[in-house]
Amino acid sequence: MNNLMTREKWQTIKSRYSIYLVLIVMIIVCNLLNENFLSPRNLSNISAQISVTTILAFGETILIIGGLLDLSCGSVLALAGVLSVYVFKETGSLSLAFAVGLIVGVLCNFVNGILVRRFNIPAFIATLAMMTVARGIALLFTKGQNLYQIGDYVWFGQGKIGFVPLPVFFMIIVGIVTWYILGHTSFGRSLYAVGGNEEAARASGINVGRIKIGAYLINGAFVGLAGILLMARTNVGAPNAGQGYEFEALTAAIIGGTSFSGGLGTAGGTLAGAFIVGFLNNIMNLTGVDSYLQQVIKGGIIALAVGYDMWAKVNRTRKTLGAAKLPNERKEAKA
Amino acid sequence: MKFMKSIRTVTAVAALCLAATTVAQAENYKIAFIARAQADSFAAWLANGIMDEVKKYPDMTVDVMDAQADDAKENAFIENAVANKYDLIIVQPNNGEAQRPYVEQAVKDGVKVITTNARIKDIPGSSSVDADPYEQAAVNARLALEQVPQGASVVVLNGPSGNMHADMRRDAWQKEFFDKRSDVKIVGEQIAHWNKEEAMRFMEDWVQANDKIDAVVSMNDNMAAGALEVVKDDPKFDKMLAYGVDGTAEAMLLIQEGRMTSTALQNAYDLAAKNISVAHDLLTGKIEQIDTDIDCPLVTKDNVAEFIEIHKKSGAIK
Amino acid sequence: MQKTLLEVRNISKSFPGVKALEDVCFSVKEGSVHVLCGENGAGKSTLMKIINGIYQPDGGETLIKGEKVEITSPIRAGELGVSMIFQELNYTPEMTIEESLFAGRWPKKSFGRIDWKAIRQRTLKLLEQENLPYDPEMKLKDLSISNLQMLEILKAISRDADIIIMDEPTSSITNKEIEILFEKIADLRARGKGIVYISHKMDEIFRIADEISILRDGKVIETRPKDQFDIDSVISLMVGRALGQGYPKEELPVGDVVLEVDGFSGPTGFSDVSFNVRKGEIVGFAGLVGAGRTEVMRALFGLDERFGGTVKVHGAPVRVRNVQDSIRNGVVMLSEDRRRYGIVPIRDVKENVTLASMDQFFQKGRLNASKERSRVEEICKKINVKMASIDVQVSTLSGGNQQKVVLSKWMLQDPDILILDEPTRGIDVGAKFEIYKLMTNLVKEGKSIIMVSSELPELIGMCDRMYVMAEGRITGELDRAEFSQEAIMRYAMNMTRKAV
Repeated sequence: MNNLMTREKWQTIKSRYSIYLVLIVMIIVCNLLNENFLSPRNLSNISAQISVTTILAFGETILIIGGLLDLSCGSVLALAGVLSVYVFKETGSLSLAFAVGLIVGVLCNFVNGILVRRFNIPAFIATLAMMTVARGIALLFTKGQNLYQIGDYVWFGQGKIGFVPLPVFFMIIVGIVTWYILGHTSFGRSLYAVGGNEEAARASGINVGRIKIGAYLINGAFVGLAGILLMARTNVGAPNAGQGYEFEALTAAIIGGTSFSGGLGTAGGTLAGAFIVGFLNNIMNLTGVDSYLQQVIKGGIIALAVGYDMWAKVNRTRKTLGAAKLPNERKEAKA
Repeated sequence: MKFMKSIRTVTAVAALCLAATTVAQAENYKIAFIARAQADSFAAWLANGIMDEVKKYPDMTVDVMDAQADDAKENAFIENAVANKYDLIIVQPNNGEAQRPYVEQAVKDGVKVITTNARIKDIPGSSSVDADPYEQAAVNARLALEQVPQGASVVVLNGPSGNMHADMRRDAWQKEFFDKRSDVKIVGEQIAHWNKEEAMRFMEDWVQANDKIDAVVSMNDNMAAGALEVVKDDPKFDKMLAYGVDGTAEAMLLIQEGRMTSTALQNAYDLAAKNISVAHDLLTGKIEQIDTDIDCPLVTKDNVAEFIEIHKKSGAIK
Repeated sequence: MQKTLLEVRNISKSFPGVKALEDVCFSVKEGSVHVLCGENGAGKSTLMKIINGIYQPDGGETLIKGEKVEITSPIRAGELGVSMIFQELNYTPEMTIEESLFAGRWPKKSFGRIDWKAIRQRTLKLLEQENLPYDPEMKLKDLSISNLQMLEILKAISRDADIIIMDEPTSSITNKEIEILFEKIADLRARGKGIVYISHKMDEIFRIADEISILRDGKVIETRPKDQFDIDSVISLMVGRALGQGYPKEELPVGDVVLEVDGFSGPTGFSDVSFNVRKGEIVGFAGLVGAGRTEVMRALFGLDERFGGTVKVHGAPVRVRNVQDSIRNGVVMLSEDRRRYGIVPIRDVKENVTLASMDQFFQKGRLNASKERSRVEEICKKINVKMASIDVQVSTLSGGNQQKVVLSKWMLQDPDILILDEPTRGIDVGAKFEIYKLMTNLVKEGKSIIMVSSELPELIGMCDRMYVMAEGRITGELDRAEFSQEAIMRYAMNMTRKAV
């Protein structure tokens, strides 16, 4: 029995941390491939490169855990970003511009939440609609032209706190916020329940609608922030920025162990997922891999990483199903 | 039989209505401008230019349609424009070969067609207005031939593969520069999809992997600006050369600051004005067919001031 | 002498850390029904999965009609004439009966086209032959569970299966449907098929079995013809100990009325329902499936809407718009459908237990983890939930333990009134007894219980008072002294309605 328990614990640990194992293996391999890989500058570069999509990925993680999804984040990011840049160019106030970016993100996602909650539109469809609408508004507003000469605004994207680039700093903050929300608040606990079994959550007295809308609002703030950072990092208010970012964000979340069937996922896993993709892109560029080949390798590694993770998990479930149930019942029978 | 009859009635009514409108607006030519993608900033700039330019001609109106970078949508717009009896269609192809049969059919159906940015070649009866993509890159490449030091390390940023402009520009760099300068080494070459953010990511990695980069060869200004964004505070790259194409407002400013080396202006206003004037000439019967190019002037620090004026006019910069 | 259709000899199967089956021998003769019983986790499913080719045994051999075979997959099992009808039927709702009957082996015409005409003919012939009045074009989503089951049997017949395994086929069908099923089984038996029937229910087992095997802890404890067993011996062999027929009921004095429901009507099919519950009382709700008992309870708990009616708790009228209101009033409900409304299967025990009482552990939205841990451990110990730790996924627990997790969740709320809807459905005998004991302890503490159940013996055994429902109305009320199967069934069939 004792032996069984430790074995089970090891299985749990293996399955819970398998994604970090993948990440560590990757760091080791990358380091062998290129001596620059672990240099502080390179690591800081990678962190800055993945910061925007990782912030989006944290939002997606929260949504997917609750059985939801946001396909509009790439577009809403652009809308929030260009409006924020515009406000800065007009007023010169960084704090006002920052607030506008967040508010636009939150408002768009409030609409997402209402569509999903009140009108029962599937999240996939509702946010698909928002994706088109938000992009359209961003293009209408700018007449399809980039906003240049954004001045001090670039500080959000290129400034540093100590040696930490500001986008990385924000990414860490958002990561901590996500971790805290998911693991240490009743909202987070409710979110897992809603995603894991909505009916059971409702029957346990959880206000499912409020949780869903809440998840969208949090996502909205993240998306707005990501928009500000992207525009500032690229030193341009581009209405066509962020196309396809929703899929990069989803990729990071899914690699990080967030389950599309809801109820599973962690902030740490998503961060690991984002770094796996980031490391992969980086090492291929450092070693000069052909750009067509890059796409093939990337897809392959993603399938491999998720495959390993799933295998570790399924393996464990099967084992505990076999192992945990029978002895329990035996004990019961003898009692 | 009854069905046939009703069809005939409907057709007759429709014909009458059409005749009525034609008579009422005898002097008004309807033009359809089918844009590649309004989300593409050059395409949007061109569409804005066309809308501005057509105001100078009281006998013409333009409707802009957005193909959203999708061949199927673009082709559907061409068919619809023919069906809706536009007098002339300006097609900015998403992919020339995909649009070719539809343009050919439109010409066959008696509609005048101009293909622009980039032209679809060899369609009898259609006209074209373009800037030569080869030449746009070539003017930069010829300048680089003199400027790039012996044994230099350069990085190349490409547009999406399969895109005609991306391929032609890269081809020009190959023939006009790389083939003639075997001493130059390409230390990094990637597709950044015309995109500044993506170009930044590549450049950040290249800066890590290489001690020196002497020049950035970019197929458009956006990507060149991205590369420059990465090294802007790094004195090690003060002397780095950077070439683009398009002549965006951002590139003009970078050239003025001395950070970017050169670009070739593909002036959307010029292109728009030329398109509209050719359209007018075709519709009024002044000419039957024409294939014409606008200039693609090389912009360097010496002449950048005059081009900045163009962008001030558009409001992109102050 | 009957021919033996299927025989397994000395089958063993281990999962890491545990022996699921040990030296199991088991056989089915033609034209007979062999009932396999055992508690949940005794190894019945594992054995059936081996026979159906889903698992491979570690040792032992399988013989079909006397020949040694290896059943490598369910497809191979099908080829060998073994067909299994699962407890949880998986089906494609939009398929029609004829499509589903021949799914995967549709007769083909040239160029791989499906021969629909042949399918129709064969379906009609089969339906006629089996005397079933179905329309071949009916979609599966429009069929009841018992009809779907019948369709599975039909599928097995159409595949010329000789050995048909049925895993608890009566767990979710009505009594009338059970009769139809049993007729069919008798028919199959008369035609020489061998049937393996897995069940917990004693009355069923003794009605249809020719032979009974009892499995416990992965071993076959006994195999005998039916007439050499009686109910008590089967139960005691299953559980491994003597289990009295009695219920742990203690008759205690009841107090004032704590819950009063008056004139309840709702869109889910009940009207003018009035009843009350006293402190320390267990009030039963009997009735046939579909009588509207669950619907009344769901509306009372705020899960469903209702048209009208009032609820008084401790004499004061209360509003019940949603579950939160109900919990605030001290009324909680354990649902009949545990998997759907009870547990969040992929989350751990701890989170499931605190799901309804998060305000106790989250101050200003912030978690007090150690307090949560100790409270959950305390309550799980009290309810006797068996698990490795409170961090294991609920889905890995047995049905009985899952039910106890749901109970623990509600016990954290310290409610005054518990609605228990089919609290013992799908859990094994030992766990049932524990739930009964727990109910007794709860009323001793002064709580009140509403118990909805379709098993009359447990209602009769546990309740102080009982309401009987039929067609969405209350048709009778009985005191403990008046309890009898006959009286309850009369009200449940609504035969005494005019007299009431």
